[in-house]
Amino acid sequence: MLKTPLHFVASVFIATAMVIFQTTSSNLIWLSSLNMPVTLQVSLSSYLNDLVAMNQMQGVPVPFFALIAVSLLIAFLFTRLGLTWIKINQVLAYSLAGGTAIVAIVVLMPLAFYNLDLLPGARTFIGKMFLGACGIASGFYFGSTLKDKKSPLCNQKY
Amino acid sequence: MSTRLSASSQDYAYEIIAENLDHPWGIAVLDNDDLLVTELTGKLRLIKNATLREMPLGGVPDVLFAGQGGLSGIALDPRFSENKKIYLAFSSPDSNKKTNTLEVVSAIYNETAITNVTTIFRASPSRKTAAHYGARMVFLEDGTLLITSGDGFNYREKAQYLDNHFGKIIRINTDGSVPSDNPFTNNPNAKPEIWSYGHRNPQGIVIRGGRVFAHEHGPMGGDEINLIEAKRNYGWPAITFGKDYIGALISPFTEKDGMEQPLKYWVPSIAPSGMTFYDGDLFPHWKGSLLISALVPGDVRRLTLEEYTIIDEEILFSDLGRVRDIATTKDGSILLATDGPGGQLVRVRPN
Repeated sequence: MLKTPLHFVASVFIATAMVIFQTTSSNLIWLSSLNMPVTLQVSLSSYLNDLVAMNQMQGVPVPFFALIAVSLLIAFLFTRLGLTWIKINQVLAYSLAGGTAIVAIVVLMPLAFYNLDLLPGARTFIGKMFLGACGIASGFYFGSTLKDKKSPLCNQKY
Repeated sequence: MSTRLSASSQDYAYEIIAENLDHPWGIAVLDNDDLLVTELTGKLRLIKNATLREMPLGGVPDVLFAGQGGLSGIALDPRFSENKKIYLAFSSPDSNKKTNTLEVVSAIYNETAITNVTTIFRASPSRKTAAHYGARMVFLEDGTLLITSGDGFNYREKAQYLDNHFGKIIRINTDGSVPSDNPFTNNPNAKPEIWSYGHRNPQGIVIRGGRVFAHEHGPMGGDEINLIEAKRNYGWPAITFGKDYIGALISPFTEKDGMEQPLKYWVPSIAPSGMTFYDGDLFPHWKGSLLISALVPGDVRRLTLEEYTIIDEEILFSDLGRVRDIATTKDGSILLATDGPGGQLVRVRPN
């Protein structure tokens, strides 16, 4: 009973850590292209800094993990509901839900901030795709941890 | 309408000379001390004999009033008393309506309208965002016009490249042509109008003793004032003292060879929005200071200069809220435009 919430928290952590990794990496890759001294130590300290700082309330009034948690929660609840009606592999369904949740954040967040992409890694199409993949990974993990791999309809004989 | 207040270094009083301005943004003091004020919504207002004319001036081009965009900077021609020429900077919608850009026009002023409106600069490429336009202007002593151009927020990395106008200070002649001694005219990969680069959102620029001072908004922290020289790189976003609004580092670096250090930076941000050099007689103690209007928390910063070094900072007028622009009149009084839909124009005089 407790396992599902714990797996949900873990999936939030996976998505948060990956999105922040993408944010840090996109900044550092660009800086490196300008011949800035981006060493392994600089990379690690930057990532750790971002991991902490992006989860505090600063310029944006919501910690980043909370934003991701709410988005994933909505997506997973809809998926759970949908799986009672739609015949689809559960892992695939949650993976798609996770990807959709993160893409929704990326697409909707600018609407609240004058069309500005606050996530620097979301300013390119490739960046958006990568962020979507972070959500897919998170959903994949969550879907994989649930016992019932198929929707109830999948188990019915037609 | 005046309020007595006491500052640490001078006593002063406020006089509200215009109210209910719709997002006032730029102030120009005319020869006879009449004032022109731009409103972000796209109106140009005349304040004559300390009274706001009800009708805005006609002839102003269409602007994109969205986000931080709208009718913004205003500058008078150095020979304004003879030619009545003014310059306006604004966010201009492209014909496709999906993109927009910073545009500067020249026009001939009369008290009811501007005429002969001619585009002399359009930043390239256009942007999808409505933020970070810069849009302040000042004339160099040689008669060329400097225009600040912001990084467009989503395009910050472009401030480091010379093939675009994002995050640059632009220098052009008043007819829009490029001065032959601009620093990058011989670089085929550079926009010839660029004078300096690596800026974020510069919204204050003044000349003092032939030297150019400009301040710019940082992100979360990292607002800067710089001494601007041609061809120099001011570092944004490769070096910065600020962080992204989401908390992430923009860059872990604050210095690099070939990139200029600011004269001063602010952490946390003060959101510097305008600047004037005070050379009047009404506040003798402030003579020689740079006065910077600031939006956060809302005040004016008086910076004391020794040569080109900032040696002191004093906070003034912190009871007015967000201050969008600042100017000085010929008699030495100070004008402040407060920000927002119910903006005021306030004159500050000594008690």
